[in-house]
Amino acid sequence: MRRPKKYEAGEATQYISRRAALRKLQLSLNDFRRLCILKGVYPREPKHRRRAQKGSSEIKILYHTKDIRFLLHEPIVWTLRDYKIFAKKSGRDRAIKDFRNLKRRLALFPEIKLDHIVKERYPTFIDALKDLDDCLTLLFLFSTFPSLHLIPREQSNLCRRLTIEFLHYVIASKSLRKVFISIKGYYFQAEIKGQKVTWIVPHYYPFKPQSRQEVDFKVMSIFVEFYTIMLGFTNYRLYHGLNLAYPPQFPSSMLQDNEETLKDETSFVSERIAALNFELLRTDKVQEDEEEPDIDMELLEQDGDSKRIIKMKQEAQEIARLRNLFKGLKFFINREVPREPLVIIIRSFGGKVSWDSSVFSGSTYDESDETITHQIVDRPSLSTQYISRDYIQPQWVFDCVNQRQLLPTNKYFLGEELPPHLSPFVDAKRDTYVPPEEKALHDPSLIETHAQSDDESDEEEAAQNEDDTVDQELLDAQLQRAYQQETAEYKKYGGPDGVNEDEEDTDDDFDGEQESDEEEEELDEKTKRLQEEKKKMSVQSGKVHKVNKRQLHKAEVDEHRLQARMVKPRHRNLFRKLIREKQSKEKEEWLLRKKRRNIDNDTKEAKKLVKREAKKAAAAAAAAASQLGVK
Amino acid sequence: MAAQEPATKRKRISKKNKAAWRKIDIEDVEQFLEDQRQEERIGTFTDKQDEDLFVVDTSPQKPAPSQLTIKQKRKLNALKPMRSHQALVNTSKVQDPIVKRNHVRQKKSGRNIELEVCNPTKPRHRQANADRGLYYEKLDKELAVRESGKKLPKIDKDIWQEEDFRDKIPGLKDEKGWISRDLALHVAGNIGRKVVKTHASLHHKTTKAKKFEAPHPGMSYNPSLKAHQELLAEVVEREESLIKKEQHLKRVTTTMFSKVTPEERDKRRLEEMSEGIKEDGEPESEDEVEVDPKSADNSYSTVNAPVENKKKSKAARNKELKQKKLQRQHEAKKALKKQTADLIRIKSIRAEVQEEAEELKDLKKRRKAAAERKKYETKRLGRHKFEEPDLDVNMPEDLAGNLRNVKTESNLLTDRFKLLQKRNMLPTTVAVKRKRAKVKRFPRSSHKEPGVSFQELRDRRKAAAAAAKANSDTIKI
Repeated sequence: MRRPKKYEAGEATQYISRRAALRKLQLSLNDFRRLCILKGVYPREPKHRRRAQKGSSEIKILYHTKDIRFLLHEPIVWTLRDYKIFAKKSGRDRAIKDFRNLKRRLALFPEIKLDHIVKERYPTFIDALKDLDDCLTLLFLFSTFPSLHLIPREQSNLCRRLTIEFLHYVIASKSLRKVFISIKGYYFQAEIKGQKVTWIVPHYYPFKPQSRQEVDFKVMSIFVEFYTIMLGFTNYRLYHGLNLAYPPQFPSSMLQDNEETLKDETSFVSERIAALNFELLRTDKVQEDEEEPDIDMELLEQDGDSKRIIKMKQEAQEIARLRNLFKGLKFFINREVPREPLVIIIRSFGGKVSWDSSVFSGSTYDESDETITHQIVDRPSLSTQYISRDYIQPQWVFDCVNQRQLLPTNKYFLGEELPPHLSPFVDAKRDTYVPPEEKALHDPSLIETHAQSDDESDEEEAAQNEDDTVDQELLDAQLQRAYQQETAEYKKYGGPDGVNEDEEDTDDDFDGEQESDEEEEELDEKTKRLQEEKKKMSVQSGKVHKVNKRQLHKAEVDEHRLQARMVKPRHRNLFRKLIREKQSKEKEEWLLRKKRRNIDNDTKEAKKLVKREAKKAAAAAAAAASQLGVK
Repeated sequence: MAAQEPATKRKRISKKNKAAWRKIDIEDVEQFLEDQRQEERIGTFTDKQDEDLFVVDTSPQKPAPSQLTIKQKRKLNALKPMRSHQALVNTSKVQDPIVKRNHVRQKKSGRNIELEVCNPTKPRHRQANADRGLYYEKLDKELAVRESGKKLPKIDKDIWQEEDFRDKIPGLKDEKGWISRDLALHVAGNIGRKVVKTHASLHHKTTKAKKFEAPHPGMSYNPSLKAHQELLAEVVEREESLIKKEQHLKRVTTTMFSKVTPEERDKRRLEEMSEGIKEDGEPESEDEVEVDPKSADNSYSTVNAPVENKKKSKAARNKELKQKKLQRQHEAKKALKKQTADLIRIKSIRAEVQEEAEELKDLKKRRKAAAERKKYETKRLGRHKFEEPDLDVNMPEDLAGNLRNVKTESNLLTDRFKLLQKRNMLPTTVAVKRKRAKVKRFPRSSHKEPGVSFQELRDRRKAAAAAAKANSDTIKI
């Protein structure tokens, strides 16, 4: 038998150095790089480098041999080889000034086709969605680039087109969930087909040149080349899922014949599309309302109310509310505010938006429109203001989306110092201890209660009373709106307390009130009559449902025991560990809360003491004064 | 014709014997006589009427058989079935019981010359010209499209729709299930539409780290105080560790060596380089004096002392052996003693063993944890190690608190590039500046300024360079 030689088997054959791969594929280094990026073949780190490199210990770039063999089958390898031939031949033509031939060759430039690679790398659509983060961020970034060396203008134009198309989808599907303004740029998170897709849009500043020392532009350009194709196909599928026409078009009713449209229709349309302010042409005639979530919830109800299902229900409710967060609101964006992110947010939550027509084409109404409810302003003061609308800073829109409710606008008024902009990516409901200050930031209602409970604040309140009345009114409006939404949801999902028809009637009244303030007076008599009717209706006093705490606790313990018994023996350790972790976390939280309570008490005591001292001193002083007076 | 001549030539035969006479061909004579006899019987043809003798030939005249050249004949022959195949020809008179047979058409090999000759196509050049015209027409259209910039990737299908490769290739789709999938794969490969399977390792993740890392809440444009402080603390910590590392490196390398002034250094260098070279001032005679007496002896001498062959005596060897034996005995005794002692402290030994086992277990655990940790880390793909980029942070004085005055801190492109490197998609590289070839520059003699010589210029340049060098070389002490 032949004695096996060294490095004939095992790790040495599993890996192949880049140089060897080049030789095997008969490509130049640049072509190889391109091929690898397009095909998603990346270098690997071996377990034992010396063995993988056949004895040499310098650090080489290694690939899996299997990967390289897989590349051998790729048809675009031939195209890459054709490039070389093309370059040689066209160079020759140019040199001998055979321009006819050169022209012919240029027309026959071998194009790379990447469709099959997209399919190959992302076998299912969900796979593609999972990898959309990078793609979107890069394309949004490249769409801001001017034509650079190694980055042709067509590429950045294409990036712009594709990203706009994607944004149209996000708006149409109302899938935006979280937004965040960071110093890097705007973070957006959308939920598409159950996948969370996050992307960053750079701030809207003029292009800053980038040194070539840090970033390899060529490599990034290749990534973008692939991602454009991928996003194109993704958009296609997403649009068809919503019955929208792809590439996006306007319904013909939108296009009226005027000077602008007649001059250059294509550019007119593309500008309007870039404005993101119009609905797109649908392939089906009737616009269907979204019904899918209801059905799901009903199905789930049969499974009983386990914790998870309750949580899911709540989540679904919240999202349903979020999707119509800005419904009925009319925004106007001032010229100093970045238009695009705000338009995306407002439109994807059902609001209407417009801007100054000189800023960007596609504005739908003027600043002088009296029905505008909010004007977004980012300057310290404004000369002409309308009474009918709120002048708010852009952060309000972002914070509303993150809190999933309409926040009181008073803190975001024009020229006001803004409350901190919190990251939505940090879970506010996390298990760890959250100090009351942070809690208040997430839930502004807590602040008021906290302030009211304080002893000292009474006096301050009296002073601030006048200011508060304004806030209170605003808050009332908010609460009313929130109440409406909730009742609407209960109608949809069937809340814990069944809603009877009477309440629905009142809802309608509320709606009427909101829609038209002028009509209110006319309808006054009607409402009075209704109220009288309501008084006549009998209401039986409800019984308070008594909860047996002991029984409840017992049931809980029993359930826990049962859960512990159900755990498979091999998972027992894990279960115990989880329980222990939970307990320790709870304990920690309890400790911190206790500590906080102690500190609060101490400070209170100290304050009280100081006050008492002061009172005493005052009393003493008064006594002394009176004595003096007596004397 | 030339081939027929030899056949008509008269053969010469010997007529020596009587028997040989028979060999003479008398047929012509016999024929003549026979003809005469016949004439006598039926009369000569001069007596007969013309009508009896001649018949008017109403049938169309047959063309003379064409005189074919050998080449033509060969071609014709080539069309005939081959001799070797004659045996295969069915000569049976029995009728074929199968009324309709499938015709098996033979594949043609090569060009069918005759067919081409019979129906000639257009002249080649005419055809080629027409084709070229069509081609350029198409080309111009394509170029026009390209110039207008509308050449965009064609996206007009849903690539994620489930589709079978068998649908595309006719004949492979069979409802009856006669063609197995393997066979279909094989056929597809041979047709030129190979179905390539991607192997699973291509989709394996190389790192367990999360794809999306949430931004630190302190990176908000208007962060809460706590979050911002946290972020700042993180940045400071990182910076401190960097400084510490740098200091360590400095301590271990630069400060380890003593420092000298440039003058001192130059002096030392001169000394070192001129080691062993006689100085001008010193007399050469000193060396010569030392060397002279040895050379005068003329006898061979070495620096090292001569090797001696020291032999141990027998007694010494015996003594050594004895010592060794004693040593061994002593050791054995000691070991025995230890064993007995160990019996007493068996409990503590057990504890020791247990401790050792525990230690090993611990080590194993730690190794496992390290391996697990490594799964989340960036792999070493190339020569350079990946280093985490700096955190983006706004300094407190830069925080504007409104969107209008946000100070952007990061570069998204760099950020993405680093992220790709972090996720093992790109090897970490360091951009290398291309070195420029050293070009010696000097003024052309034709452009020489009056009064300034080349020598002078060179001197000036050298002086400037020396000054610059002296500046750069100063080292602080």
